[in-house]
Amino acid sequence: MRSPMPLFRRAFVDSWRSTLGWAAGLSAAIMLYLPIYPSIGGSAEMQQMINALPPEMTKALNYDQIASGSGYTQATVFGLIGFLLMTIATVSWGAAAVGGDEESGQLELTLAHGVTRVQLVLERALAMVLRVVLLAVLVFVLILALNDSAQLQIESTHLFGAAVEFAGLALLSGTAALFVGALSGRKSYGLAAGAAVGVLGYVFNAVGRQSPDLDWLLDLSPYHWAYGNSPVANGADWAAAGWLWGISAALVLLSSLALQRRDVGS
Amino acid sequence: MESAITVEGLRKSFGSREVLHGIDFQVQAGTVFGVIGPNGAGKTTTMRCLLDIIRPSAGTLRVLGQDPRHGGPGLRRRIGYLPGELSLEARVTGRRLLDHYEAVSGPVKRGRIDELAERLNLDLDRHTRKLSKGNKQKLGLLQAFMHDPELLVLDEPTSGLDPLVQQEFLAMVREAKDRGQTVFLSSHVLSEVQQAADEVAILRDGRIVTIATVDALRESAVRHLRFAASGITADDAGARLGRVPGVGGVEVLTAGDGVELTAVLEGSIGPLVQALAGLQLTDLVLEEPDLEESVLRLYGNNGNGRRGNGSRRREPQEEGSSHA
Repeated sequence: MRSPMPLFRRAFVDSWRSTLGWAAGLSAAIMLYLPIYPSIGGSAEMQQMINALPPEMTKALNYDQIASGSGYTQATVFGLIGFLLMTIATVSWGAAAVGGDEESGQLELTLAHGVTRVQLVLERALAMVLRVVLLAVLVFVLILALNDSAQLQIESTHLFGAAVEFAGLALLSGTAALFVGALSGRKSYGLAAGAAVGVLGYVFNAVGRQSPDLDWLLDLSPYHWAYGNSPVANGADWAAAGWLWGISAALVLLSSLALQRRDVGS
Repeated sequence: MESAITVEGLRKSFGSREVLHGIDFQVQAGTVFGVIGPNGAGKTTTMRCLLDIIRPSAGTLRVLGQDPRHGGPGLRRRIGYLPGELSLEARVTGRRLLDHYEAVSGPVKRGRIDELAERLNLDLDRHTRKLSKGNKQKLGLLQAFMHDPELLVLDEPTSGLDPLVQQEFLAMVREAKDRGQTVFLSSHVLSEVQQAADEVAILRDGRIVTIATVDALRESAVRHLRFAASGITADDAGARLGRVPGVGGVEVLTAGDGVELTAVLEGSIGPLVQALAGLQLTDLVLEEPDLEESVLRLYGNNGNGRRGNGSRRREPQEEGSSHA
């Protein structure tokens, strides 16, 4: 029997191994980093060590706020390891959703069945969004659970805002990968585009923070849009979150138009 | 009779390279239509246009009364399609994959999947990417046939199948035809489709060389003749056969007090039988018409026939090679 959103269900259910793997990786990273905060970030020796580092380096790594629980969580989980894992996950999902499927020859068969191309892109993008949301919820819940024992003193509303921006930032890379994959039919182009958004965003932020002359780089950095005001400490910049999610949504729509307009598998 | 597929002036270019140069044909509803041609002739491109996977550069297409460009999912649910380059690399079992396609294009009659899997001898509980090429092909056939679509578009359906399964496939095609379904299939060798097809189009380098019924091809086809006769000299036998219309390539050997002769016959067999009637035959073999050979001559007669197969493409007989 025909059932609602078969492509979404297949994309979501058939990738449970991958989703579970990334969830395990994120959990492990959080469990490794956060419980040691009281002995690292919060200690006076650590602060001395950070002070001894070149200031450019502390800025690049966002270690300038590492002495507070929220700054430490921002710098380590959201700013570095979590960002890295989530970006890799969404970029690989996004590039595989259309470009990878086309390159492997399977898209042709699916499109020969009773689906439209727009429907295909939207349902697969929705599956990606749902996975990203689930992982962001996991990160939110884990950090909240460790909040007391690791003496992080994070406000849960601020943490929620940070998780929303964290998810939006990852989605932006993922939907960029989806769009270029749908435009070109090549997985590698999609991967390159998604990685470029993630890596350049990070680099522009790290370089842009070095000097007021380079401020303009920050405006080009989605990473800075998301984390520029340290959302774990100060709560989300909702306008920035809106941009991250909004551009991602626009990229999904553009992906469906791109696929709609061209030959597949030629 | 109503036509299931109408193609008029179909052209397709990829960049500056035109691969279909204006193709016209019709497939009547309820018939089996084969398109034969070497790899690169344009068979796959034509089929992809019918399913709106690629879009024609020019020309008109009607599939089951609709333009495939605008028919949408409703039209494609009425078609079963087997791609020429079937790729099933997913980490799912065959059964889950078929369930998925049923959810998209169904409904499928209860028990139909198992019935077809049994006929094709396919294990549906194995992961698709671990299947052999032949088993993937069976799964591809199954997803095309399972919802009993009005039109089956099958690109190289017998590729990778062993002879027994090929026979089973031909039986499935005959049954589909008996049920009133239309079948449009392609092959690079005629022998794979001549048993199933009512009509055959021969495609070469993006043009249709000829469209004929299999019977008409059979009439124009060459038969190999071999006989032994006693009480006649080689020269007499050679001269006698040489006068028969349609006979060529006569070779005669003296054997004992008689001859052994081989030749090829093109056209009707009546005059040959009359010429043979006066001989004291000790052995006679007149082979089934070799459609393959006549088709290859058609490729060859039109322009520079076989030259195009060499450098740019792989050998036409090679299995599982690419074709566009």
